[in-house]
Amino acid sequence: MTTVPNTGGMRPDDLTIASDAALVVAIGRWRQDALAEAYRRHAGAVFALASRVTGTRALAEDVVQEVFLRLWHDADRFDPARGSLRSWLLAQTHGRAVDLVRSESARKGREEREHRGRAEAGYDLEHEVWDLAVADQVRDALEALPEAERQAIELAYYRGLTYREVAAVLDQPEGTVKSRIRAGLRRLRDGLRDAGLEVTT
Amino acid sequence: MTHDELQELLGAYALDAVEPHEAAAVEDHLRSCPRCRAEVADHRETAAYLAHAGAEAPPALWDRIAGAIDAPAGAVPLAPRFAGRGSQRRWATALVAVAGAAAAAVIVVLGVQVRDQERRMDEMEAALAVADRGLAAAMADPAAVMMDLVGDGGTHVPVVISGRTAWLQAGTLPALAPGRTYQLWGLAGEDLVSVAVLGHDPGVVSFDVAGYSLLAITEEVAPGVVRSENEPVAAGRLA
Repeated sequence: MTTVPNTGGMRPDDLTIASDAALVVAIGRWRQDALAEAYRRHAGAVFALASRVTGTRALAEDVVQEVFLRLWHDADRFDPARGSLRSWLLAQTHGRAVDLVRSESARKGREEREHRGRAEAGYDLEHEVWDLAVADQVRDALEALPEAERQAIELAYYRGLTYREVAAVLDQPEGTVKSRIRAGLRRLRDGLRDAGLEVTT
Repeated sequence: MTHDELQELLGAYALDAVEPHEAAAVEDHLRSCPRCRAEVADHRETAAYLAHAGAEAPPALWDRIAGAIDAPAGAVPLAPRFAGRGSQRRWATALVAVAGAAAAAVIVVLGVQVRDQERRMDEMEAALAVADRGLAAAMADPAAVMMDLVGDGGTHVPVVISGRTAWLQAGTLPALAPGRTYQLWGLAGEDLVSVAVLGHDPGVVSFDVAGYSLLAITEEVAPGVVRSENEPVAAGRLA
């Protein structure tokens, strides 16, 4: 059989320095090494978020697999004009993890998992390999938020609660919680920017 | 919901913290409101930092993923590639618009898939029965480039390019009713040019590909049109 050259032009050794957008293009051309590079760059954050929201390693691994397989099959659904690859992957991760947590089957085992899950899930600052300085800055920005805003965001984002559930947990009006999440995210963004972190859009 | 009510939901929406009916209402609104779309994108970029605690993903998990994508070609669906679908914009305008954008964005909109070469070769070889001999020569050319024009629902039309000549295997398209025809378009600079009228049940077509950055096939009324307002059934960007 004739060997047909790839029109991609990029050699495998280029991938480690390729931009995320270029990686997605290569993934769209079914370059498995490009997917591997995207995994190397972002799977840690994807896994950490999925672990934190689902509370179990097994579910988190399923989410990671699903998110990267979706990137493989539907690479063109990522639109670089609308944000970074990282935030896109993490938004999908969050959505999927939240679906799992809210599903009936997940609810049954949740209590049990909450005990053993935290230890098992690997959300462990000691073992982070990602930029600890950034983690510090994020923590500082989060802690600089008004307490009510920070709580609302954390319950929604890390625990996968809806704003109504957050309102019930905190015993606050739903409308207030809704506004606080929005205002808090904006304040957080400004805080991150002030700390010199890039929040692109 | 009013615009203000929808806006108030955007933060919670970006964190997946709304009820399904609210999510649906927001998504509906986002389609027509660039400002709210930008706000959601902003919230998501911010939220991404909350996930930044990046422990390493388990290495064994990559093996699982790599195993899943090594599945037989038949199990891998061809993704619909024309992202402009469903929008109000005329696709021709969209093509012209994206031609000036960054290459990466163009490829995302009109992806060229260079994948699964073996299966494509098989299809090409099957097509040889009806193809002209130039295609056989092109396929033997080690410098030939192969690509797919792709569309929704797994539509794909293999193309072999050797030098300035391209061979299009349009036999993969379903036959149309009499009175209808497929038409091939090329984007030259900012102009969308009619390259060929392919007929209602096309086979292999060859044409001069020089100067085109994109190819697209539409379905039209026979004997073809000067200007198309239809969305392409398949499209692809030339490398």
